[in-house]
Amino acid sequence: MSEKVEAKKWGMVVDLDLCTGCQACVTACAMENNIPYTGEDETAYGRGLHWIRIQRYWKGEYPEVSPTHQPVMCQQCGHAPCEPVCPVYASVHSEEEQINVQVYNRCVGTRYCANNCPYISRTFNWFDYPHPVPESYSLNPDVTVRRRGVMEKCTFCVQRIRHAVDTAQAEGREIEDGEVMTACQQACPTGAIIFGDLSKKESAVSQAARSQRSFRLLEELGTEPKVVYLKGGGNYGG
Amino acid sequence: MQRKKPWWQNAGLRIGIALVMLVLLGGAATGVVITQKAPQQPIEFPHNFHVGTGIPCAYCHSGAETGPVAGLPSIETCWGCHQQLRTNTPRLAKLAEYGSTNTPIPWVPVFIQPDFVHFNHRPHVAAGLECKTCHGDTAGQTVAEPIPGQNMGWCLDCHYKMAPENFTRLSDCATCHY
Ligand code: HEC
Ligand code: HEC
Ligand code: HEC
Ligand code: HEC
Ligand code: HEC
Repeated sequence: MSEKVEAKKWGMVVDLDLCTGCQACVTACAMENNIPYTGEDETAYGRGLHWIRIQRYWKGEYPEVSPTHQPVMCQQCGHAPCEPVCPVYASVHSEEEQINVQVYNRCVGTRYCANNCPYISRTFNWFDYPHPVPESYSLNPDVTVRRRGVMEKCTFCVQRIRHAVDTAQAEGREIEDGEVMTACQQACPTGAIIFGDLSKKESAVSQAARSQRSFRLLEELGTEPKVVYLKGGGNYGG
Repeated sequence: MQRKKPWWQNAGLRIGIALVMLVLLGGAATGVVITQKAPQQPIEFPHNFHVGTGIPCAYCHSGAETGPVAGLPSIETCWGCHQQLRTNTPRLAKLAEYGSTNTPIPWVPVFIQPDFVHFNHRPHVAAGLECKTCHGDTAGQTVAEPIPGQNMGWCLDCHYKMAPENFTRLSDCATCHY
């Protein structure tokens, strides 16, 4: 099962045995991708905006319980359920990067894609959140500030991919393994997230994906996710 | 006996509709004209003059060869030369005002794509395109003038013509929209 790494191009490995559920990736993602803070009330209504969520499970019977955590972001399916249902072709497959891109300016907000996503990894912008002056300085200029009424989701930090590809091209070389780091990977204190090119056998991410512990979410649906999870027995620190 | 005219032949109605159309068309025409005109700049910077003296574009727009954004020159760049030059014309007096207080000049953008488009100068300059292919004859202009019709079709047309072998990459939504 773990042998068939047929996926091409960008992929991610999340080692759940190392994840502590600290939410650093969620924060880093929000900073990198200009995701606004919706506040408690809207989140309670299910209108929170985040491209990663930490799913928490409990192991054992009370009082002998211990939590396990699983960061879930867009799985960048090779065969994505969200793509064929978009009536305006705003959710399209990038042939180049082999990821699933959401074209914000194309999106009209039918939310069909989110309803068809088995990973619930798409979030909808219900309101315009203002970025008043000191806060607006922290916006990332490489990422579009989305308006109200569009669907958004994890992009595998495609702006960083584009930047690294452009730098490599300028220097006339191939892009190196580990050159593109996603924001969540960079922030992860335990190094549980590895990102790289799955089509190269020797890249760190391919090696990790070939591990005995690997599995993918809802693999049986045939969505060919690009995110591979590793889970053995343990938790971080035992 | 006079036949009663149908309602749509009513003169008043027709004149009314004509007036509404006129106002709408006029508004649209004004809008088009205003957006196609060079905007009012704080100082009418004469490109023709400076380029004519042999200053390369990269002296002032230094980012075009190396990065996504070409950039506009800082006030230090202007003041480096103009500190030593006369200040007795109205434009130069304004420049001296900015220069002596070291305040940045609030230039109004002329060539600007919407926020959701990520243009990158570097690959274009590396592919051997000249500035004037996209920006017109800036070297001969007094102030930079906008060129209409620089939309997505324009980008894709050229990408298809110049690099059909790379068109999958160059037409990929993730190349320009993210
Ligand atoms: C390499 C030196 C150089 C730099 C850099 C330079 N200029 Fe000039 N500029 C000149 C010279 C020389 C003249 C001619 C001065 C004269 O007519 O006496 C001139 C003329 C001008 C004039 C026309 C004056 C008039 O009214 O006839 C303006 C306006 C002007 N410069 C603005 C600027 C601005 C704004 C900048 C910064 C973006 C700038 N210049 C940068 C050398 C420079
Ligand atoms: C002396 C400095 C200087 C030189 C040399 C110079 N420019 Fe400029 N350029 C400016 C300044 C200042 C502005 C902003 C004023 C304006 O838009 O008219 C500007 C504006 C522009 C703009 C419009 C940018 C916008 O606001 O969207 C373009 C395009 C441009 N220049 C192209 C060129 C090209 C091409 C060359 C070389 C042939 C060149 N420039 C040489 C100083 C310079
Ligand atoms: C392929 C077409 C193309 C070529 C070639 C090109 N530009 Fe541009 N340029 C653009 C577009 C499109 C924009 C608007 C970018 C935006 O708003 O993000 C722009 C913006 C600019 C700006 C203003 C905004 C900024 O990026 O700072 C300047 C100045 C400029 N170009 C200068 C140059 C110079 C100098 C050259 C030649 C070395 C050049 N350009 C070559 C298409 C081109
Ligand atoms: C006059 C022709 C021309 C126009 C107009 C043009 N491009 Fe390009 N573009 C090129 C060429 C040539 C390349 C380099 C192709 C290659 O690397 O094989 C390129 C490459 C690019 C790349 C880099 C792709 C990569 O290799 O990573 C981007 C991004 C891009 N263009 C965006 C735009 C956008 C956005 C516009 C419109 C605002 C535009 N281009 C308009 C000719 C053009
Ligand atoms: C070469 C760069 C490039 C590529 C590739 C590209 N676009 Fe665009 N797109 C643009 C530019 C530039 C504009 C802005 C046009 C304008 O200002 O009128 C634009 C505008 C749009 C708009 C109109 C938005 C509006 O409000 O006017 C839509 C929709 C759109 N793009 C969708 C797509 C989709 C879907 C794809 C992928 C199939 C795609 N684009 C690929 C450059 C590109």
